[in-house]
Amino acid sequence: MSGVYEGYTVVELADRRNQWAGKLLADGGARVIQIEPIQGSPGRWCGPFVDDKVDPERCLDYWWYNTSKQSVALDLARKPAQDLLLRLLAQADIFLESTPPGTLAKLGLDYACVAANRGLIYASLTDFGQDGPWRDLQMNDAAHLALGGQMASSGYSDPKETPIGGHGHQSWHMGCAFVLHGITVALYERMSSGEGQYIDVSIHDACAIGTEAAVPQWMYYGSTMNRQTGMHANPKRQPPLQLPTADGKYMIAVMQNFGPRVWDRLIKWMDEKCVTGELHDPKYQDEAYRMSEYRTGTVVRDAIARLIAASNGEECFHRAQSYGISWGLVHAAEENYDIPHYQQRNYWRSIEHPDIGRALPYPRGPVACDAIQIEPRCRAPRLGEHTQQVLQQDLGLSAQDLASLTASGAIR
Amino acid sequence: MRAKSPVRPGVLSGVRVLDFTWKTVGPWVPRLLTHYGAEVIHVERAGGWDDHRYNATPSIVSDAPQAAQLPGMKKVYADPQFNTLRDEAPAAQSPGQKKLYAAPYFNTLHHGKLAISLNTRSPEGLKIVERLIGICDALVENFSAEVLPNWGLTWERIHELNAKLIYMSASGFGHTGDWKGYRSFGPTAAAQSGLSLASGLPGKPPAGWGFSYLDVMGGWMGGLALMQGLLKAKKTGKGFYIDYSVTEGAMSMLGTYLLDYQVNGRRTRRPDFPPGNRSVFPALAPHNTYRCAGMDRVGQDWWIFIACETQPQFEALCALMGQPQLALDPKFATNEARVAHQDELDAIIGRWTRPRRRYDIMRQCQGAGIVAAVVQSAEDRVEYDPQLQHREMHPIIDHPELGDFAYEGYPVKMSRTPAFVHGRAPTLGEHNQYVYGELLGMSETQIASLREHGVI
Repeated sequence: MSGVYEGYTVVELADRRNQWAGKLLADGGARVIQIEPIQGSPGRWCGPFVDDKVDPERCLDYWWYNTSKQSVALDLARKPAQDLLLRLLAQADIFLESTPPGTLAKLGLDYACVAANRGLIYASLTDFGQDGPWRDLQMNDAAHLALGGQMASSGYSDPKETPIGGHGHQSWHMGCAFVLHGITVALYERMSSGEGQYIDVSIHDACAIGTEAAVPQWMYYGSTMNRQTGMHANPKRQPPLQLPTADGKYMIAVMQNFGPRVWDRLIKWMDEKCVTGELHDPKYQDEAYRMSEYRTGTVVRDAIARLIAASNGEECFHRAQSYGISWGLVHAAEENYDIPHYQQRNYWRSIEHPDIGRALPYPRGPVACDAIQIEPRCRAPRLGEHTQQVLQQDLGLSAQDLASLTASGAIR
Repeated sequence: MRAKSPVRPGVLSGVRVLDFTWKTVGPWVPRLLTHYGAEVIHVERAGGWDDHRYNATPSIVSDAPQAAQLPGMKKVYADPQFNTLRDEAPAAQSPGQKKLYAAPYFNTLHHGKLAISLNTRSPEGLKIVERLIGICDALVENFSAEVLPNWGLTWERIHELNAKLIYMSASGFGHTGDWKGYRSFGPTAAAQSGLSLASGLPGKPPAGWGFSYLDVMGGWMGGLALMQGLLKAKKTGKGFYIDYSVTEGAMSMLGTYLLDYQVNGRRTRRPDFPPGNRSVFPALAPHNTYRCAGMDRVGQDWWIFIACETQPQFEALCALMGQPQLALDPKFATNEARVAHQDELDAIIGRWTRPRRRYDIMRQCQGAGIVAAVVQSAEDRVEYDPQLQHREMHPIIDHPELGDFAYEGYPVKMSRTPAFVHGRAPTLGEHNQYVYGELLGMSETQIASLREHGVI
């Protein structure tokens, strides 16, 4: 194992917003100590659960976002626990936290209080950052997709239909991407200067620059985006690109190449399905003509829709791709397990779960690269699984210290 | 003597990236490094230009038979005009106003980069690519898998040219495996990964991600991997190859669904999924979008998102709506009951929001501690959003043609080594002189000759 974050120690204050960032640090080889409240991270309580039975040790969402981490359970409302965290931060490389602004200052744990550790990179990922008029608003993942502009561009072509925010904590992912940019660049800089610093990332800021052309379209043209079913929002309403297949699936039929090689094979395929219609007219032999007709008319588009409606999804995808046409099939996430391509690329990592008596195939990190090597290394920790180990080994606490802290409820 | 870089100094000063990206997801990757002072050299084909320079408006790409055919390129008007400012709509028709580099999306995606033109199809051009590889720290491209090897630039060759260089290919499906030749765009990668099927109303076609999540986040994940690559290379001094598949990146954001399938056998392809804007894990109600008074400039209704995650929040909402008795109604008294009756509950809340102004609702709800967020458009964010204004997320930057103009900011605030948005996008071939003359040490005569032969 030679993960890019090997050798760094991270202290992460458990929160649903930042846990993906902590996971990528841990999967990348860092030692990530997640500080959980005594009753467990909020990430342990959201579900789905194993067999749908509520159990903080068996929350699958927590399992996914906390691979390769250690868990230390502290009651930070108590002074002795605050002192323990302060001592852990004194020897950490990175602190990752998502508490409402001001919270840690009250506990004597803000950046000023721990900056004596000159190398510490203290990263706060919060809903709105550390300042501003909306700083203290109540938010969740979907609320960010609304306020940040994602929903305004996602949904259905029917203008009366609701905007849609997709699922899977995507606004938090966007915030995590930027906090990791900051942390990674700060580590790079620290190699020369030896100095850490404070990083303030706002999820709202991150979402706000994540709407592709919507902001430039407004700034340059004063245009408003129309939501369009299954495709890019656009200032102009466009014909559908997400088309139903014969077997009840959907193709994303983005057509950009109208060259003769692609065209001839497409027509032959249409002939097979008896859907070519007037595309046999010689005028479609002219590339410029057919491209123009596609952009402004309905003849080419209708024929493509008929072709897709007459073909099964998988057939359609592979055949189009083999012709150099970049169509995609709407898959379900779980269907990717059966695709040889990802197996050939060694995409799945087998992680042992003794609690359920089997190993589970986890996706590796976003990139295939041995030198960076970000991939799940072991299952998520049980609540407080490493409390004793960390406090003994890192802070030199005795068995007696631990017993009295446990008895007082400061640790678990 | 080291040539003076035209880019603003930052944490990544001295890092030089050769950028062969186009479309959307690719350009984001190296652009993220410009916020830290890296020198990113964006390569455009001599005699042509990046897609997004001419994708400015649909009218730019020719639909007309009289379009000039440029060699090896799409058909474009010989004299493309760019409608660059909202008050300048007639500019699209008036001749003599060339604004090739002011195309909005290009200006957004490539700001802070340097631009050179180069004909990579000529042997002389390829020699220059090899020399550039020799003086760069990273090379990023998002072509199809066969393009660089067709130029003779396999990973082995690249590594031989510069053993310290990091090479990243950003592609739809990666550069190995059965599908390495398959092509994709953001929406196709979203479809293939399973993301599209995680967005939409039950019983309707997938809504997908109309802001093109993967074109954006795909670039941010790639940019992260490039930064990680630079960190690693700074430690070891060794170059390596990063094979980035955007689809795999997307799948790695769907882990919870994958584990739910493995453990519970629950599929995302099921009748009640995706659940619109409702929350399934945890099951919460209310948690939805609600129609407000008014509509946007293209006739889409205005909406607000409201959620109650705690009992006090729900009681506060009932009080705000002037219906405190709702919280006592057995159908709505507990979260579990509300989830079971959420169609009815959503209708009640929708009747309350429908005649009301969206920002008033947000203010009132937030004042009572309830999660509430207006579904903001780009206009709302740029012209109104007080938080983004406070955080200076639309900084003003000078541009030779546009003058002072607003750009999207960069959301990482670092205390000691601030990141920045330091520039507009480069004009076509703007940095030929710096790169060929100063970095590669070519003489005026050599550069003129290359220009004459169509190499640059």
